[in-house]
Amino acid sequence: MRTKRFHPLLMVFEVWQLLKNTFFIFIFLFIMKANSHSLYIKYGRIIFIIFLGLALLYIVLKWITHTYALDDRSFHLYQGVLSKTERTIPFSKIQNVTRHTTFFHQLFQVTSIRFETGMNGEDAAVKFDVVSQTEAKQMEEHMARALRGGVTDSEIIEQMEEDPNSSRIIHFKPTKRDVFRASFTSFSFFVIIPILTSFYLKIDEIFHVNIEAEGIFYNIISSWWLLTIIIIVFIIISVAFGMAWTFFKYGKYEISSDQDRIYIAKGIIEETAFSIAKDRVQAVEIEQSFMKRCLGLAEVKLTSAGGHEIGEEKSEVNSLYPFLPKERAYEMIDEILPAYRITPQMQRLPKKSLWVRLLRPYWIWGIVTIVLYYFKPEVWGVERAWWLISAILLFINIALRWINFLNTQYVLHDGFIQLKTGSLTTSLFVTKRDKVIEIEITRNIFQKWLGLASIEMVNRSKPVKHSGIKDVPVEFADAFYQWYLGRKLDITIE
Amino acid sequence: MYFEVHEPQNWLSKDAVKVWLIKETISNVTGFLVLGILLYLDYRFSWKDWIGWILIGLIPLTVIGAVWSWISPYFLYKSWRYDVDEEFLQLKSGVWNEKHQLVPMTKIQSVATIQGPLLRKYGLCKVAVETMGSSHVIPALSKEQAIKLREQIAQYAKIKEVES
Repeated sequence: MRTKRFHPLLMVFEVWQLLKNTFFIFIFLFIMKANSHSLYIKYGRIIFIIFLGLALLYIVLKWITHTYALDDRSFHLYQGVLSKTERTIPFSKIQNVTRHTTFFHQLFQVTSIRFETGMNGEDAAVKFDVVSQTEAKQMEEHMARALRGGVTDSEIIEQMEEDPNSSRIIHFKPTKRDVFRASFTSFSFFVIIPILTSFYLKIDEIFHVNIEAEGIFYNIISSWWLLTIIIIVFIIISVAFGMAWTFFKYGKYEISSDQDRIYIAKGIIEETAFSIAKDRVQAVEIEQSFMKRCLGLAEVKLTSAGGHEIGEEKSEVNSLYPFLPKERAYEMIDEILPAYRITPQMQRLPKKSLWVRLLRPYWIWGIVTIVLYYFKPEVWGVERAWWLISAILLFINIALRWINFLNTQYVLHDGFIQLKTGSLTTSLFVTKRDKVIEIEITRNIFQKWLGLASIEMVNRSKPVKHSGIKDVPVEFADAFYQWYLGRKLDITIE
Repeated sequence: MYFEVHEPQNWLSKDAVKVWLIKETISNVTGFLVLGILLYLDYRFSWKDWIGWILIGLIPLTVIGAVWSWISPYFLYKSWRYDVDEEFLQLKSGVWNEKHQLVPMTKIQSVATIQGPLLRKYGLCKVAVETMGSSHVIPALSKEQAIKLREQIAQYAKIKEVES
């Protein structure tokens, strides 16, 4: 097992990060306060320069002392400038892999890769912020191969040269039609409005076009044909812009899988790739917003026990294409996760649970009404607007609960459970008995009278995922309890 | 119903009721004191109207809460059951809101016995169980029983299932 240093460009990357993070302090100390003779600023500058120097020194030392190695079973990370630590992370603990190639990475033909474990805290992932693209690929493949069956050290190098793409099946690549539909569903045409507004505000700041613009504006609306032309041009531009925006975001997408892993790659300027072992998928979620339901589209998400944030923001890398035609979505789950079976036959809630749901207290409405009653605001000159707003709010609340009741469905079949919930956006949650880590049944007094119960279960995710349905018939809750007691049928003891 | 017929069989220690009563009394007395001080301050510095209304509204709520908190320990004691076997930890509790929980042994990460001053006075311990998803507490068992339960859970939780 030979240990390796990280990619030398990692130092460049870290220096860049350092400069980015200290940029504002720099501006403040050296540009905004350039003429200041205050002692604070003077010492601040000295401290800043010392800090910067130490940070640069640390980056170099870190690169020299941090090394890593892979064997047939785990990652080994050696680090520490003064006190040395050695970490071993077995491949079997890796929940998913994310690769992220930013513009910076593309400049140098490198990438970043994170191997996520299910643990919490700083050390939850094995991460390589800069690594050559071939090496990232090799590491990912090596891990997958090692998990499949033992590889010995000598085999590693040999097998790394094999072409791994041969066994991969591509399940989905968006066509032009898909992108077109996606741009409709995501209301991308409106993206241009905030951009134009901020553009206008910036120009206005410099040139004070406000007054001149007003004159032009009156000229325009006074001639109807000019107005029509401008509106048409604006619509064309915003549609074109929206399409381009959607294309950059969702245009290049590829969902593929091989025998034991699923791969999702996307992005044109910034590429991200997500991969997860099939047996590590904790649950499958099919989400449909109101708009998507109208157009027959759906989003499929794979729940993983490892985190999947890229940089600071949490991105939806675990999502298969967000605008899949619904039938294709179901087909694809069948193709990439043969271990999951989704049945369309589900049970609906009985009438009585509607009453329990409607009679639950409307907390938010209550608080809003009290606040409205206290301030009694006038809206559009209507004096008694407060009770009207309150009434409308109550009506919307009731309607949403009603729709939620109609949408709610559930079923248990073999080792699977399917729960569908939601009012405007619905979500169908499917998981297996061995992936559920605990369950709970609750009954309040009203539910006891009416023979109802609420069920809840917990799945691994980051943070853990609670899902459940309120007011199911107690018979179903009972079946759920017994179903979970039969858990040992699905698990293997080490 | 299966989950009612086969509900867990073990009871908490009888002294749990006393412990809860003392605890509730302490927190009620503090609650009344805080409310009293706030009322006095409201009167003394003539705060805004609505603050006064809220405080007055809180009085009956606090009284009802106090009365209930002196009755509830008996019912809570009667409702609490737990059980362990090599596969599951089963918990049942709740008076108004009855709760049945089922936790697989293989998912338990740690188990501990904890004793505060009140519990020590009656020779009791609580058993806290941490899982990947949450934590559960069996609130009052006699010390020997608690330690026995802890050992038992630790024993069962040693078994690992193939993580997939």
